[in-house]
Amino acid sequence: MENLALAEPTASLSIWALFMQAGWVVKLVMLGLLAASVWTWAIIIDKLIAYARMRVALDRFEQVFWSGQSLEELYRTLADRKTTGMGSIFVAAMREWKKSFEKGAKSPLGLQTRIDKAMDLALTREMERLEARLGFLATIGSAAPFIGLFGTVIGIMTSFQAIAASKNTNLSVVAPGIAEALLATAIGLLAAIPAVIAYNKLSSDASKLALRMEGFADEFSAILSRQIDEKVVTRAAA
Amino acid sequence: MKVGLTTSVIMHAAALALGLFTLRAPSAFDVSDVEALPVDIVPVESMTQILEGDKKATMRETPAPTPTQRPDIVADAQKVGDNSVDTDKPPTPEAKPRPVEAADAPPPAPKPKEQPKSEDVPKPKEEPKPVPATEVAPKPQPRQEVKPEPAPEPAEQKTAQAEPQPEKPDPIAEAIAAEQPQESIRLPDSAPAPAARPKPQVAQAETAKAPERKESDKPAKQASSRPESSDKSLDDRIAALLNKEKASGGGAKRSSQQASLGGERNTGANKLSANEMDALRQALGRCWNIPAGVDDAETLKVSVRFRLDRSGELEGRPEVIKGGASSGPGRTAAESAVRAVQKCAPFNLPADKYETWAEVVVNFDPSDMF
Repeated sequence: MENLALAEPTASLSIWALFMQAGWVVKLVMLGLLAASVWTWAIIIDKLIAYARMRVALDRFEQVFWSGQSLEELYRTLADRKTTGMGSIFVAAMREWKKSFEKGAKSPLGLQTRIDKAMDLALTREMERLEARLGFLATIGSAAPFIGLFGTVIGIMTSFQAIAASKNTNLSVVAPGIAEALLATAIGLLAAIPAVIAYNKLSSDASKLALRMEGFADEFSAILSRQIDEKVVTRAAA
Repeated sequence: MKVGLTTSVIMHAAALALGLFTLRAPSAFDVSDVEALPVDIVPVESMTQILEGDKKATMRETPAPTPTQRPDIVADAQKVGDNSVDTDKPPTPEAKPRPVEAADAPPPAPKPKEQPKSEDVPKPKEEPKPVPATEVAPKPQPRQEVKPEPAPEPAEQKTAQAEPQPEKPDPIAEAIAAEQPQESIRLPDSAPAPAARPKPQVAQAETAKAPERKESDKPAKQASSRPESSDKSLDDRIAALLNKEKASGGGAKRSSQQASLGGERNTGANKLSANEMDALRQALGRCWNIPAGVDDAETLKVSVRFRLDRSGELEGRPEVIKGGASSGPGRTAAESAVRAVQKCAPFNLPADKYETWAEVVVNFDPSDMF
């Protein structure tokens, strides 16, 4: 009885060989997806670090803020430093307060509005910074499988054309082409899956941080409002 | 951003390197040598639908059982065989007459003695030989029925010779007949009737048949040689009485075709065709008066079983085996079904498929009739 081992595949099926065999379109798709994957992971790592830092910064600031330290003093220490998160909101508000109040603003209502505006602006800038590039993750998460599929379809088309040309439907003729084509989908999924997961996690983290900063802004706004009222009363009394 | 990017690039490079080195070309599938198993797919029809034939014969185009030798045809015989009566007993292989001969052989001495005897015998044999030939032609009739009265016949030589001639040479009877003359020498009173039969006549009768039946020839020789061998033992007498008839089972149906592979009888095969079945159904439908005006149609479904003989005539009364009732519309329905069968009675069905319609079960269902 003869040995029934299947015929040795005509082409090697290692990943490198598959990549090298692929047509230029498929190659391009694969390279693009690889780059997207690299960028996705770069963003993920970056964001994770940034959010962790932000959380630590917020904790520390809240600790300092509620420690009973004079706001003036706090402002003086923070004003010439690079601040993030609540710190920048606090600095923006205090700057506006100082500008208006020390120059002797007449209307406390206008002052309040201006401080709120300044804090909103600072908050928006902070959020923008936090959420930057998250959209890219969403795009990769939804588009990468399709890009991979495109590569696969192109690859399978080419391999079918090759079958038609060789007039041989032997599995060993068909298999490498299909395997190479499927590699594109695999890379697409490889890029998309972490992107989707990370996008969901990071966006929820970002919204949590935003909520925390909004809370602080509201609280600080209330404090300032009280201060303004007190100042106005004392000034009127004086 | 730099930290993230560099980490990502490093990670990807590591993953790719790992992939390149670990995910090499998969090894080819090695199919281990497996002994090829011959598998026969046997259709169940070969078990359930067997046509009458010979179990050892090869498959031929037309199914046929072992051919028979006897020319006479017995009417209405079912089983194939060489018998003159139809029996269910399966045909047994022919018993070899050799052992019997060997058993009787021990005294080889008589043979030379027999030789002169047979030389003497042929002379009278020449004479009667044409006689049986002429006698057999006009009367092939005498059979076993004639045998019971051998006493008067031995007187006339011709009838005595003609008697064993017809197709049933009964070796037992012959052996007894051969024995009896000797006994008659010793005990003349014990068997008065055959006492008249002279020895040489028997020898003539037996040898006259020689060309026809070889089996019967041997006992005849023994019988003829026996008178010379004076040491006649009990064994010999028993051997003479033993049934030396060729064991022949089987029925009386004649078959002339070459034997083909098949079973002992037709089972399931040779069904009524759809047309024939439809014809039967239509015939019954025409004869059936459907009980009208009954709302409960379920009780009107009746299964009737009846037997038919070969001419398609009803045997006995049709029997309601399912459906119907003892009273009310159910009873009406059952009776109408039975009446339908009786009314249609001589059914015109193919005679060669009698096995399939010997017993018929018909379902009468009003919902099928409209």
